[in-house]
Amino acid sequence: MLTSIKTNEFAGNKGKELGMMYFRVAVILFGAQLLMGLIAAIQFLAPGFLFELFDFSVARMVHINALVVWMLYAMIGSVYFMLSDETGHEGVAIGLGKLAFWVLTLAVTVVVLVYIFIQVGPGKESTIWLINEGREYIEAPRWADIGIVVVVLIFYWNVFATYMKGQKTGIMTVMIADLLALAGLYLAGMFFTDNISMDQFWWWWVIHLWVEATWEVFVGTLAAYALIKIIGAKREIVEMWLWIEVLMLFGSGILGLGHHYFWIGTPEYWWEIGALFSALEPVPLVAMFVHVLYDWGKEQGIAKAEGKSGSVMNNGPAMAWIVTNAFGNFLGAGIWGFFHTLPQVNIYTHGSQFTAAHGHLAFFGAYATILIGMFYMGVQYAYGVKVLRSTFKSKMGIFLVTFGVVGMTVALTIAGYEQVLVERAELGGGWSAFFAAQELPWFVQAMVWRAIMGVVTFVGFVYLVWDLLTIGKQAKAAQEA
Amino acid sequence: MFGLIEPFTDVNHSFFGMLNQGPLTLTIFLHTIIILPMFWIYFSEKKRLNK
Amino acid sequence: MANKNVSVWTSIPFWRRSAAWVTGFATILLIWLTFDTLGQITMGTDADLKNGVDKRVPAATVINYKIDYKMSTKRGHEVPVIGGKQLFFGKEWSAKEAADLLHLGKLTSQAKNCMNCHTLLGNGAYYAPDLTKAWLDPAWQNGGPLQGMTGKNTVEEAMAEFLQHPSQYPTHARMMPNLGITADEAKGLVAFLKHMSSIDTNGFPRNFSKTVDQFKSGGTNAH
Ligand code: HEC
Ligand code: HEM
Ligand code: HEM
Ligand SMILES: [Fe+2]
Repeated sequence: MLTSIKTNEFAGNKGKELGMMYFRVAVILFGAQLLMGLIAAIQFLAPGFLFELFDFSVARMVHINALVVWMLYAMIGSVYFMLSDETGHEGVAIGLGKLAFWVLTLAVTVVVLVYIFIQVGPGKESTIWLINEGREYIEAPRWADIGIVVVVLIFYWNVFATYMKGQKTGIMTVMIADLLALAGLYLAGMFFTDNISMDQFWWWWVIHLWVEATWEVFVGTLAAYALIKIIGAKREIVEMWLWIEVLMLFGSGILGLGHHYFWIGTPEYWWEIGALFSALEPVPLVAMFVHVLYDWGKEQGIAKAEGKSGSVMNNGPAMAWIVTNAFGNFLGAGIWGFFHTLPQVNIYTHGSQFTAAHGHLAFFGAYATILIGMFYMGVQYAYGVKVLRSTFKSKMGIFLVTFGVVGMTVALTIAGYEQVLVERAELGGGWSAFFAAQELPWFVQAMVWRAIMGVVTFVGFVYLVWDLLTIGKQAKAAQEA
Repeated sequence: MFGLIEPFTDVNHSFFGMLNQGPLTLTIFLHTIIILPMFWIYFSEKKRLNK
Repeated sequence: MANKNVSVWTSIPFWRRSAAWVTGFATILLIWLTFDTLGQITMGTDADLKNGVDKRVPAATVINYKIDYKMSTKRGHEVPVIGGKQLFFGKEWSAKEAADLLHLGKLTSQAKNCMNCHTLLGNGAYYAPDLTKAWLDPAWQNGGPLQGMTGKNTVEEAMAEFLQHPSQYPTHARMMPNLGITADEAKGLVAFLKHMSSIDTNGFPRNFSKTVDQFKSGGTNAH
């Protein structure tokens, strides 16, 4: 992945080259995310660790911001990567796109340095403009918000103008519409209000309508593209599935927003709306799961009937991650989401470790997986490899990362149950109830397991990066030999 | 009956709050008005395909 | 009907039109609901408080009143109850002063990143206690351990003292760090917390008053 910069083997496709630039930064930020998660996890066990130097709030803020930013990088990279395949054009202004990439990367670097070294500011408007906005996931200070909007406008214009110039596939049409909604939603998180209910009302517009509507549709689109590329799925079938997915995802996800409006000062009618619409959100995730596995089996069957031996996949590791995505999305978002989405349950689970269990498995299963699959597609292209097969390192990477995240999720789920029953149901919440539950052995043990599984995840990540850096070169050498 | 129909209890009166008093009436109402027009889309598409 | 076998279910235009309709209409419904909700969660006025008009989110001057959180048989869950007048930091705050103080508090809560350790209205991080009803927590009341340890004799003064020097008042190994909060910022934060406890959260946190009753009858959950 790295040497591809020097050897410049892109066969001159500038759009894909730009996509790879985004992928590289995404991988680095992913690593930073995991390190910060480990610090925060250790602080649960040894609260004196880095106390008043690098507090939990700082580690956690960088953890979840790096998460959101690496995913957005990988998403932008994926769009640039697929652009020429879908439209038949490389991108109208890739040079400008590159400039935007450097501006964004510089801004992200400055923001992270300020988070790490300045951390907090006085209670003044200037803090919100320059240091951090203190709103979970979208802490980026206002100056960076404005910068992000400008960069995203350049990106969007690039994609849109290319789309208008080239052929208009169903996949690209969905992508263009979805990106507009995704970018527009960011604006809902860019203002200050003294009213905490109003604040959280709009905050959820960004967070929920991203992860449970626009990002999900993005993933559906990406999976459609990848299935065509990797296993040669039929475009008409894939695109029909895509429209069905859009229908179900938006049909349930948009009003499913109500499951965050149960307890923040908003009216009681959201109980019914949030419960029943979000309860349907897992349905499209089942459909996506079936779709990926069905298409894979079908293409394999066709190949066999035609007398071809071996696999239909031209990219083993990418396909492995996409299949993991099908499982992970369904489990993390669908099952773990449904667990706590009814108000009768959520009144007890709201804001407990249970939420964290769901957050981890959902973000990993629904997004990290498929985006890592895209990294492998990038490597395959960069080295001009016809068939990329999994190596030992690819297998260790996917196994350990997935096992680690599932392990953390199980630990957090147990911690969550304990917290819900003891702190919430039995003791009724409040300061003393909180600490009573945090100190019970079951909770502490779960936190130890979370930290252990976090280390497993990190080791898997090391294998993953090592593989990404070497697999392309090896496969190319093997192909030429 | 069976506690399915409730008196209005929320802080402020509103259209959605009123619909919220019966057995899932609010959500059934919203789902219905979203789904119903799909029948029309279905039949108009059928007509078009048959041509 | 020339061809009875054509299936609409495998027609891309059918799914495309349906997807466009469902997405568009769900968005319209969400916008409609948003207008309705925004009307209900806009902050009330000082006059509302004086006239006893129930607001989901009361005016900043709610800091001049006593706040309680009680089971409502009508609603079927606990609701904040705004009672008689109560001095806040020894005085009654005008509408302008109260609004300014709340503004400072909300701003400080963001500048110091409370939400990445605590939850506010249940959203945020799970490292430290939920602050939704922190103002009402029995530990902060007269005779409670948190108020006692600061040596102050009102809830607001005790909280403000703690927020300025949290690591000087440790109760557990897991402590709140010193975030450089000034005396004014601490006052603002306490106003912010008091205001938040007066918001009608449809009964979250549930059974919160159970702890209060237990405390008042002499029991406590602390080890
Ligand atoms: C680095 C994490 C961290 C940050 C940031 C943080 N707190 Fe805390 N806070 C804690 C911990 C841990 C405790 C429990 C300490 C104890 O009880 O001794 C606590 C306790 C409290 C308490 C008392 C407990 C209760 O339930 O009433 C209040 C009030 C409080 N914090 C308010 C705030 C406010 C306001 C902010 C933002 C200005 C803030 N905290 C920022 C970690 C943090
Ligand atoms: C890929 C999709 C999803 C992702 C990435 C995701 C992620 C998250 C995250 C990170 C949170 C915690 C937010 C916070 O910090 O407060 C959260 C909360 C929540 N999610 Fe999801 N989610 C997804 C899908 C779903 C689905 C499909 C459902 C329901 C069926 C669901 C139900 C919920 C609920 C009810 C909460 C609120 C938890 C609480 O009250 O504390 N999520 N989600
Ligand atoms: C090395 C592995 C990891 C460790 C040790 C770790 C640890 C943590 C910790 C301690 C928190 C704070 C939870 C709290 O507030 O109590 C957290 C939050 C979070 N992490 Fe991780 N994490 C890891 C990997 C990941 C991965 C791979 C993802 C997703 C792809 C992820 C997504 C999140 C999210 C979304 C939150 C916010 C959850 C919420 O508010 O509900 N983390 N993590
Ligand atoms: Fe959600």
